[in-house]
This record gives sequence, structure tokens and C-alpha cells, in this order.
Amino acid sequence: MRSARLGLALLVAATTAQAADPATLGLPALAAPAAAPALVELGRKLFFDRRLSANGTMSCGMCHVPEQGFASNELRTPLGVEGRSLRRNAPTLLNVAIYTSLFLDGRAASLEAQAWDPLLAGNEMANPSAEAVATRVASLPDYRAPFAAAFPGAAPDRATIGAAIAAYERSLVAGGSRFDRWWFGGEAGATTAEEREGFALFRFRAGCAQCHSIGERDAAFTDQRFHNIGTGRARVAAHAAPVRVELVPGLATNVSQAALASFGEAPATDDGRMEVTGDTADRWKYRTPSLRNVALTGPYMHDGSLATLEAVVEFYDRGGGDDPGKAEWLFPLGLTPAEKASLVAFLKTLTGPNVEALARDARR
Amino acid sequence: MSSPVLRSFRLSLVGLAAAAVIAAPARADETCNSPYMTGLIKGQEDFVHVWTLGVKGLGDESDKLVTIDANPGSKTYGKVVHSLSVGGRGEVHHMGFTDDRKQLWAGRLDDSKIFVFDVGRDPSKPKLVRTIDSMPAKTGYVGPHTFYAMPGRMLVQGLSNTKDHGGRTGMAVYSNKGDFVAKYDMPTTNGGDGYGYDIAINPAKNLMLTSSFTGWNNYMMDLGKLVADPEAMKRFGNTMVAWDLKAMKPRKVFAVPGAPLEIRWSLKPGDNWAITASALTSKLWLVKQDANKAWQAKEVGTIGDPSKIPLPVDISITADGKGLWVNTFMDGTTRYFDLSNPEAPKQTYSKVTGKQVNMVSQSWDGKRVYITSSLLANWDKKGADDEQFLRAFAWDGKELKPLFEVDFTKEKLGRAHHMKFTAKPKRQSALAALE
Repeated sequence: MRSARLGLALLVAATTAQAADPATLGLPALAAPAAAPALVELGRKLFFDRRLSANGTMSCGMCHVPEQGFASNELRTPLGVEGRSLRRNAPTLLNVAIYTSLFLDGRAASLEAQAWDPLLAGNEMANPSAEAVATRVASLPDYRAPFAAAFPGAAPDRATIGAAIAAYERSLVAGGSRFDRWWFGGEAGATTAEEREGFALFRFRAGCAQCHSIGERDAAFTDQRFHNIGTGRARVAAHAAPVRVELVPGLATNVSQAALASFGEAPATDDGRMEVTGDTADRWKYRTPSLRNVALTGPYMHDGSLATLEAVVEFYDRGGGDDPGKAEWLFPLGLTPAEKASLVAFLKTLTGPNVEALARDARR
Repeated sequence: MSSPVLRSFRLSLVGLAAAAVIAAPARADETCNSPYMTGLIKGQEDFVHVWTLGVKGLGDESDKLVTIDANPGSKTYGKVVHSLSVGGRGEVHHMGFTDDRKQLWAGRLDDSKIFVFDVGRDPSKPKLVRTIDSMPAKTGYVGPHTFYAMPGRMLVQGLSNTKDHGGRTGMAVYSNKGDFVAKYDMPTTNGGDGYGYDIAINPAKNLMLTSSFTGWNNYMMDLGKLVADPEAMKRFGNTMVAWDLKAMKPRKVFAVPGAPLEIRWSLKPGDNWAITASALTSKLWLVKQDANKAWQAKEVGTIGDPSKIPLPVDISITADGKGLWVNTFMDGTTRYFDLSNPEAPKQTYSKVTGKQVNMVSQSWDGKRVYITSSLLANWDKKGADDEQFLRAFAWDGKELKPLFEVDFTKEKLGRAHHMKFTAKPKRQSALAALE
């Protein structure tokens, strides 16, 4: 009982502190209040601990790299233990608390549940069971004090480990961007004319805000829904064409699929949301990602197939991917080069000023 | 304030520089060994040790050190005489002897464990005497790759790091007893890209060369996935670094595009040049001093057809510096280059020696050439092309003629990677270098 009161007190203190935090300007109110610092700190330690993988080589932070926008800038799709292939791009964890479902296919309902998926997936951290992870954490002397501070009297288990990692992920709040200061904060000089023109395109003619939603008082830049924009079919088509390989800048060659098959594994299929619902209408649908901090989180799309924001804008200007089943509201936009540039300029205003601080804090 | 261990290492570097005046290249043994190594093999090697990757579903599935009898006078010539499993699979890669040649250090690129084998007492039965797993925690580096003997020390080149599994890394120094001594980041300024791969020292010039490969994310990735990922393909090293050996400080960074890998100094007395091959661009690069005594790296040759990505993965220089074996993984070809003029190497021989070939090692007299098959677990070919072997050849200057072969799949051993030679103690001589 005493520990529950203590936890509540810590939670209230933390919540009060968050209310005045400029990093939250423009962000929707989060469903869960900020956690106690001791819980966040334990979660941070767990998040970056490579000992939490089956062979001690992977941590959550190896794919969600703080210095890379809590994503993986250097890979289209990351790998797990022993280099096992993953199908999807590692999404940023910045502002992950705003999502109502987790993973690009929405298969987890909470961050607590989500945290265990990579820990137990055979191609990610490959632990045999939650109990095995809990036993390992309990055996590590350096966890005794942090665990006691976060969960007095409780032992590491599925619930406590999941809660701690989720608490750290929820703490990665990065609003208060130049866009937020201008649009929600009324700071006229926070954006340029070109960026504001890009925002106008974003909201109206280009139709981006249809899915990357903006509210009256805040903006999640996601509608939390699942859409087929043509990237799923494009990924399948790409596996039938020769691959252009850039060996070093300025020197490229083409590799046939037959040659590729002699030294590469067959790509795994990815049906998107359909894998969760079983509904064929959901094939190749993926949850709309928030665009907050998007300038830091490339490469883009569910498979990391687009390297730059410029490529993303070109993709939508073409009307999305070549798929008859894609969303009906995707059509060629006919944007001028200047308009495309302004859209990109706008997207770059969505970076939170505290992201570098969050990365530094991650490495404490 | 530095630790006693670190001070001791600095003192040994000073001694090392003083010794450089009289240091001469080894006059026996493999041509890729550290110049500080003693106990050299004068003639015929007795054993070839193969650091072998365990394969799921094959034999005991574990990584292992396989010892093969290489002495034609032996009853077990060409046979596996010993196999020592170390447990688990951690992307076995390279090995290196300590300066006294009594121990063989062998690394795993995935879990970064270093296994130390006693090969001094009875090389026919190597014994695991130590496992070092401290490198990531002590240094932040991942992927111990090159093990290079220094006086009383082992210099270990990392390939990656614990923060993001990218290519930024560095070198760790351990005592021969396995105590961590010091770490040195690869340079990221003045043209440095932070990557690492091989180490090669020219003591007389107080010069250490390092090369650059890629980080865990790439070397652990399925090769098909890797080449199709333009973001990942940007993450290969494009540099070599010339270090002031005594100070262990970068002196100059050379632009060598396309992942320069193994570095070999010419061992011919009086020569002061080194050669390397860039894996992605299929080029030979020469490192030597120009007319102004400034060290330079320059492209001097092409290996196969670079547009077909032959992937030169290992080289072996002849003891007289006149020739170079080059293995290209993708086309399974072993090539010989005439290095009479190192400024213009000429390919004079080639032979397909396997469906995939990786390491190539030759005896000091150049009469025997050994080849293994595995590059990296997730880069090796698939299906029937995934041959795993050690093949020994005789070389008469004109033709590679098969001597023996060990089929590592049939023997349920695993993927054959790096090789090192040993001889029974009576066949080794610390005085070989003076002959």
C-alpha cells in the first residue's frame, strides 16, 4: 500500500512537470500520464541492454537508434539476432505514445504488449520466453537497485519489464517544433513563407492531411488508420526486376534476380494489416505514420523503399504506387518543382527541438 | 593519469620503435603474419587449423577449430585430426598468433567473443585456454576481426560498435594473458570514416596501415538483401589509414573506395610498399612513399570484371614480393598476379577453385596454396553453390594441382573460414628469421 502511494506521488509530480514542457506543444494529450522517473529510468536501461537478447547482441536500441531519430537511418529494414532479416522499416519511437495501436499492422494494443514482441520474435531478439528474460534480468546485480526503485517489492516479470520499457518509450516526447510554435503557438516568425506554402499544399491541394491529421488544438499527423498506398504491391514487383547496386558513389551495376537468388534468401511476403484481420481487403494496408520529426527518420515507407523526403513527395505526386487496389483518393497531383520543394520544406519544420537532448539522455 | 597497464603498453611501444631499427621481416612461415612473431615454421607445415562456423542442422551445430594434417609424410595427411567445438554460433571469422606463437586467438564477429587456443604444446590438439568476452563492454567495439601480434600484446581490430551496429569502430589492445590494456578509435576526422578491417605493420618505418570494411548491420545481413538496400550499400569503408605506430595516432587517411580489405607488406628486404584489394570495386591498391617520401595510396590494377562484382575477398603475397594470390568469392576463382612491378600488377593465371572461395594462404616457399570457401554465414551462396571445403593445391609456378580436400559439409563440420598453419614443436625455430 505504501509503495502504491509512493508510486502515485511520483506519477503526479512527473505529470505536473510535463504540463509545462514546451516539448509537448502541438501534441495531442496522451492517454497515459507520464510515468515516475524511476520507472522511466529502468525502462531506459532495459531498452538499451543487449543482454536482453538471446545471444547478447541486440537491444531495442540497436534498431531504434537515438542518434538516428530513434529509427534506423542506415538500413531499409533492420535485422535481428544472427542477422536474421526483418520485413519492415524500423519506425521512430519519438512520440510513439500518440498511437492507438502499435506496429505498422496495428497488431498490438499497448506499448506494454508491443515491447514483448521483439523480445520474443525469433528473427529479432529471439528469447525463448518472457520468463527466460525475467530470470536473466533478475540474475543481473546491476538491476537490483533500479528495479527496487521502480517496483518496490516486485520482481522482474512480463508485467514489470513491459511496463518499464513502455514508460521509457512514452517519455520520448518531441513536439514543440517550429511548425507547432507557428501554428499552435502563434509565433509568426517561426516558419518561412515557403514552409507555410508547403503547409497549405499539405492541407488542401496535395491532400496529405487527409491521413496525416491536424486538429484544431493539436496535430498527431496520423489518422491512426490503415491504408494501401501502393507500396505493398510495388515491393512484390521489385522482387521480379533486376536490382541496381551502387557499389560506391558513382559506380553502379545491375544484378539479375537469378543472380540475386544464388546468394540471397527469398524475400518474405508482407500482407500488412491483412495479417492481423485476415480480411483480404486489408492486404498491403499499413497504419499511417505520424510525420512528426520525419526529417530525422528516413528511409521512408513500410519497407524503407524511399530514401528521402523528396522521393516521398515524388511518390505521392505520381499518385502513389502502381496498384489498382490502392486508396481511391490517391491520384497524380501535378505539383511544380517549387511546390514539391515547399512541401519538403514544410515537412522539415516538424522536428522537435529536444530530439538531440533525448538522444543524449538515452546514452547516459 | 594512466593505468599501470596502459603505461606498460606505452613503454612497450617505445621498445617496439627502438626494435624497429633492427627488425626484419620474417623469413619463414605464412606471409601474412605479424613481423613480431617468433617460432616460425621453416619448411613444411604440419597442420592447417580452420576456424569454422557452426551450421544449424549440421553436426553439433557449433563453431569449432578444425585441425587438418597437412604433412604429406603423415599417415593422416589430408584428414581432420582434431575438432574443438567452442559452443554456439557467433560468426566465426579470423585468427592470429601471439608473438611467441604459442597461442592462437580467434574471434567471432557477432557475439564478439575471443577464444584463445594453446597451439604451442601440441598443435595437433589445440586446447581452449581462455574465452574473452569483454571487448564490447570495455571498448564499445563489436566484431573482433584482425588479431595482430605485438610484443607481449595482441592488437585486435573491431568492425562495429555497440551503439548502432554501424561501421564506426576501433582497435583494442590486450595483453597476451587476455587483460584489456587500451583502445584506439578509428579516425573520423581529416577524411577518416571510422571503419576498420585489417592491420599491417612495417616496423622499420614506424608505420601501421589499417583498412576498412563495414559494420555489423551489413556483415550480418543476408547478402541478397544487402545489395538491394541502397542505404546499407552506402555504409562501407572507403579509406585506409597510415598510423604513427609508436604514438598509435593516425598520420594520414587515404581515399581507397570500395572496402579495402587485407593488407600485405612486401616481405622482400628493402621493399617498403604494401598492397590491398578493394572488395566492392575489384581494384588493387598500392601504398608506398612518393618521391617526396610522403605515403600515398594509388590504384594499380583491376581484378576481373568489376561490373560483375567478383568480390575479391582475400589476398596472399609471395615471400619475395613478386606475386599475389587473389580469391574472388562470386566467381569462385583463384587468380595469380605478377607483382614484379607493383605499380602495374598483371594477372598471369586463374583457376576456378570452387563455387565460392574466400581465404587463400600459401606456404612460405610458395609451393602450397590452401583455399577455403566461407565468407560470412549470411553472405555464402545458397543451395548447391554453398560448397564448404578446404582445398590444398601444389603450385609449380604454372598450375595449381590438387593435393587434398576436406569437405566440411560431408564431415559435418560447418563453414570453413580462416586458416592458420602450425608445425610440431621440433619443426619450428625461433631463429628462422635469421636464416
